[in-house]
Amino acid sequence: GPQELALLERSLGLQEGNKYGVQGERKIPVLQTNNGPGLIGLVTIAAHLVKRAKKEQLLGSTAEEKAVVQQWLEYRVTRVDGCSGKEDTRIILKDLNMYLEDKVYLAGNNFTLADILMYYGLHPIMADLTVQEKEKYLNVSRWFNHIQHYPSVRQHLSNVIFIKNRLYTNAH
Amino acid sequence: MGFGDLKSAAGLQVLNDFLADRSYIEGYVPSQADIAVFEAIVAPPPAELCHALRWYNHIKSYEKQKTSLPGVKKALGKYGPADLEDTTGAATDSKDDDDIDLFGSDDEEESEEAKKLREERLAQYESKKSKKPAVVAKSSILLDVKPWDDETDMAKLEECVRSIQVDGLVWGSSKLVPVGYGIKKLQIQCVVEDDKVGTDMLEERITAFEDYVQSMDVAAFNKI
Repeated sequence: GPQELALLERSLGLQEGNKYGVQGERKIPVLQTNNGPGLIGLVTIAAHLVKRAKKEQLLGSTAEEKAVVQQWLEYRVTRVDGCSGKEDTRIILKDLNMYLEDKVYLAGNNFTLADILMYYGLHPIMADLTVQEKEKYLNVSRWFNHIQHYPSVRQHLSNVIFIKNRLYTNAH
Repeated sequence: MGFGDLKSAAGLQVLNDFLADRSYIEGYVPSQADIAVFEAIVAPPPAELCHALRWYNHIKSYEKQKTSLPGVKKALGKYGPADLEDTTGAATDSKDDDDIDLFGSDDEEESEEAKKLREERLAQYESKKSKKPAVVAKSSILLDVKPWDDETDMAKLEECVRSIQVDGLVWGSSKLVPVGYGIKKLQIQCVVEDDKVGTDMLEERITAFEDYVQSMDVAAFNKI
């Protein structure tokens, strides 16, 4: 919600100190603007901030990349935020692990807003995983560890530990 | 360090395992380290080495910027898993002495770095030849770790057990076995070097996690 958007603002290097509110039961974030009812929705506001920071490449460079970025932003809001319980979490991690097998970033070779918002969304989940689960979802762990080291993304969020030595036998 | 011979399947396997949980050879951004290793690879890794392939395709996308990536290219033997002995050119079935000249023959004149690398390799080859590894006595032990009750967090219990890191001890696979009344015990495998780790010490360390562990038994003990 608002805290995440504040984190995003800082990671984008914006110093705007925007005011955020929430709307409705699901606490959808709202960006108060001077003229009009305000901008509603995490993804909408995030994309707006990216453009204000003049970092449009974070939304994807090619048409294909832009579509993939949108796909993961949508996934974040519909699947990750709506996630309730171990079974949902397991499905998300399994999907993501398969997807990331041949990719360094969600959009393939380039760091985008999809990585940032999926990182923020997954942080509470990743922080609670056991050593065995982190190893099981190895590609997710690799990606997550990479993103959390990206300059200015993690900020005050806790650093999730990933140990280097593989303790569990490989199960491919 | 090093990956072994990156032109061989074994070397690529080492690279693959190394890259399973890393996006780059060093650190978290593409650097000359990645370029150095990339240039040592002749063709895209096969699909089953999925981590190496992922890394290869990713670094390939930086081809145009390769000279501007940060860092300084070092000898291949300086990258890779820290615990791996650099065996390039020192393999027991190495047919060609050309291995030692691996870098020398590629360049018109032998560069400083290539000369240093060759000398390093020669020294390693000599030292490897001179010391034969001693045969180490090992045992495979199956431990039963019992919790206090059915409410005990078995995942945390397992983490505690696996957090015991001792020289000569390697944890293996584990499973939860029901013992009745909803209680499950943790059955976990480990391999120990006999003169470094004993079951008494394991029992002491494991039962020290008093919040989770009620007792520990040796379910099976086999000499390897």
